[in-house]
Amino acid sequence: MKMVKAEGLTYEYVRVLETDHGTREEKVAALKQVDIEIEKGDFVAVLGHNGSGKSTFAKHINALLQPTGGTLWVKGMDTKDDELTWDIRQTAGMIFQNPDNQLVATVVEEDIAFGPENMGIEPQEIRKRVDEALETVHMSEYASYTPSKLSGGQKQRIAIAGVLAMRPDCIILDEPTAMLDPVGRREVMETIERLNHEEGITMILITHYMDEAVRADKVYVIDDGEMVMQGTPKEIFSQVEELQKYGLDVPQVTEVSYLLRKEGIDLPADILTVEEMVGAICQFKSTT
Amino acid sequence: MSIQINHLTHIYNADTTFEKTALDDVSLEIQKGEFIGLIGHTGSGKSTLIQHLNGTLSPTSGEILLDGENIHKDKTKIKEVRRRIGLAFQYPEYQLFEMTVYKDVAFGPTNMGLSSEEIRESVISALQTVGLSEEVYEKSPFELSGGQKRRVAIAGVLAMNPEVLILDEPTAGLDPRGRDGILQAIKDLHDQRGITVILVSHSMEDVAKLVDRIIVMHKGKVAMQGTPGEIFSHVEELEQMGLAAPQISYVFAELKKQGFAVPTNIYTVEEAREALLKLLKQVKA
Amino acid sequence: MIRDITIGQYYPVSSPIHRMDARVKIIITFLYIISLFIVDNIMGYVVVTAILGAVIYVSKVPAKFMLRGLKSILIIILFTAVINLFLTQGGEVLWQWKFLKITTAGIYMAARMCIRLVLLIVGSSLLTLTTTPIQLTDGIEYLLRPFKKIGVPAHEIAMMMTIALRFIPTLLDETDKIMKAQQARGADFDTGNLLQRAKSLIPILVPLFISAFRRADELAMAMEARCYHGDENRTRMNVMKMHSGDYKAVVLTAVYFCLTIGLRFLGNTVHFWI
Repeated sequence: MKMVKAEGLTYEYVRVLETDHGTREEKVAALKQVDIEIEKGDFVAVLGHNGSGKSTFAKHINALLQPTGGTLWVKGMDTKDDELTWDIRQTAGMIFQNPDNQLVATVVEEDIAFGPENMGIEPQEIRKRVDEALETVHMSEYASYTPSKLSGGQKQRIAIAGVLAMRPDCIILDEPTAMLDPVGRREVMETIERLNHEEGITMILITHYMDEAVRADKVYVIDDGEMVMQGTPKEIFSQVEELQKYGLDVPQVTEVSYLLRKEGIDLPADILTVEEMVGAICQFKSTT
Repeated sequence: MSIQINHLTHIYNADTTFEKTALDDVSLEIQKGEFIGLIGHTGSGKSTLIQHLNGTLSPTSGEILLDGENIHKDKTKIKEVRRRIGLAFQYPEYQLFEMTVYKDVAFGPTNMGLSSEEIRESVISALQTVGLSEEVYEKSPFELSGGQKRRVAIAGVLAMNPEVLILDEPTAGLDPRGRDGILQAIKDLHDQRGITVILVSHSMEDVAKLVDRIIVMHKGKVAMQGTPGEIFSHVEELEQMGLAAPQISYVFAELKKQGFAVPTNIYTVEEAREALLKLLKQVKA
Repeated sequence: MIRDITIGQYYPVSSPIHRMDARVKIIITFLYIISLFIVDNIMGYVVVTAILGAVIYVSKVPAKFMLRGLKSILIIILFTAVINLFLTQGGEVLWQWKFLKITTAGIYMAARMCIRLVLLIVGSSLLTLTTTPIQLTDGIEYLLRPFKKIGVPAHEIAMMMTIALRFIPTLLDETDKIMKAQQARGADFDTGNLLQRAKSLIPILVPLFISAFRRADELAMAMEARCYHGDENRTRMNVMKMHSGDYKAVVLTAVYFCLTIGLRFLGNTVHFWI
């Protein structure tokens, strides 16, 4: 069974516009006929600029929004079925952009317990899960801290632990690093990758940072509510012009190799990292 | 107009258990018209430093001279100092409060006690500089997109006609398009108005593209300063301070290590293209 | 200034008082406050102060910390003292100037009110200093539960308190940032008449409210995403349980309460005003 599957996923809402002749209602499609299949254990990045619809997509997986057209299944559960809402949210946990606005309690461990408590789990079991979750995000020594004393990256890791304690199969992260400094970004990205590799949790990372998307197994590009590109990072980022058209960056090394190729220098188009670039130049030297 | 910082030290919560030295004997000089990049990770002291320049914090010891005059000497002149050295904080859109974009930008000049004609001139010129078109002037700032809101907020500082503009993380949280728009607006205002700009940022790529001089702060001290080329050739030192050079700088540092005759002061895509073209054509020939 | 207020702050050490059940502590604090109004003579206050001192000692919260909390409400105490000093008439007139008169009864009243106020504040801040906000809200939720039948939303009140406590530091920081940002645009909060000063708050309050609403919106969504649906079928990680220490405290409180009543009657028969 697919972890997440969407068929013709469409989301429309009505926007009220103010015009010279009073107000006018307008139907806006934030998502248009999106088809997607995400395998269990994948690390998927969804790239898009602000307002592209990527956040709307994320909220559908957590059943915070329901499609107005088409269907989205999480582990086979239709998100339109209200009976399944809590099961879906437990299966596919969600992390939001602002680290401050998703922590509820005044003590770290109480915050992590919030999800399991809502699920009605036995106290001893909650305790066990909280301790494990804290350990998994390497924050055990902060169990009794108050969230306002933590850095942005630490808060975000606590938010991740809070979702982990609900034992999800999948975590959706909606621009989790947008408000963090470089150190915080690194902490969060490392945590995401580790959970994916070691715990086998499906990760769906919504972002506009290409350097984060590069680390995923598969990248989707969303623009104006439509899935416009999909493939491995190498397949996606080698299409420099196309990405720039959608208002996205490519890694500097990819852009340089793209520019050099235009000059007739035969470098691979899918260079993403410093090592690959250096390797390609050495290779170039030895073959000519 | 120049800013001179002499032996500036700032200690938070002095004489308590929470005592923390945020700035430790910092001395710097900033010339008129310079475009400065101020980098350092969270807690390096850069935020504390810029708040001193604007007079929102007072030094524990040391002084800041603006055209030779100590800005903290005369408390009645602090408002004038704040006008001359404009400061746009991180996420400046969170300070917007007026009903219309125009009124919000006019807040600063109104506080300065300018005449309504002067206010109008400053506001419109500021809005034009940040690249906002006339159709948004009468809109509520809260209707605008994230990038536009930020432009309004920056215009709000610019409308006071500062001689120095300090921007704390002006691109934080924006997507590539919004970021490029803001950076272009900042570059334009530096070029057009000739004012001194101090850009505080985590993003080395942003800084590298724009500034003349980089000041690196680390643990409350100035750790390095120089042109972007000079700074980014010290990839390893930057790494040790928890900072990173632009990705392309690493390529050149590595190539050099492998024995290639390449410059190490490369930090933009354009420079890299030129340098590699030269190198690879040599190889070919 | 705001950060000096110790009421509502938690002092993290481990002591017998800290380990007590929050429900018991709330009830004891409640009884203690009542006892302050039962006692009305010097002897009584000496006894109450001594007992409170002993409890503070056991709680391991430094007395210095307690006194710092008092500093921030010094004005209220002084104000109460002055009002009582001049408004209570009776007994010997000690000093007079036009319509202002200080009498012995006024002095007694002022002294009594000040002592009561200080004891009240120190005693109730001991509750928050030794009880984490979570335990406190859990305790309140539990104690309010019987009133649910008459429509008291016990769980919601507790949840609101938790969220408020969680976001107070965040919003304080935010206020500070907004103030600085507006100051950088030439805003002036320190001069002008009352009306001008009130008006100068608009540039702070509007952004603060907008931000608070945005946070509320996002937090509500984050809570929903973590399966929050009120207190239906909700469990807790930390289950409140009474231990032997709590039972001892209940007995000691009963003794204390009888003692204060005794002291009052004793005070009525034997005069302690010397």
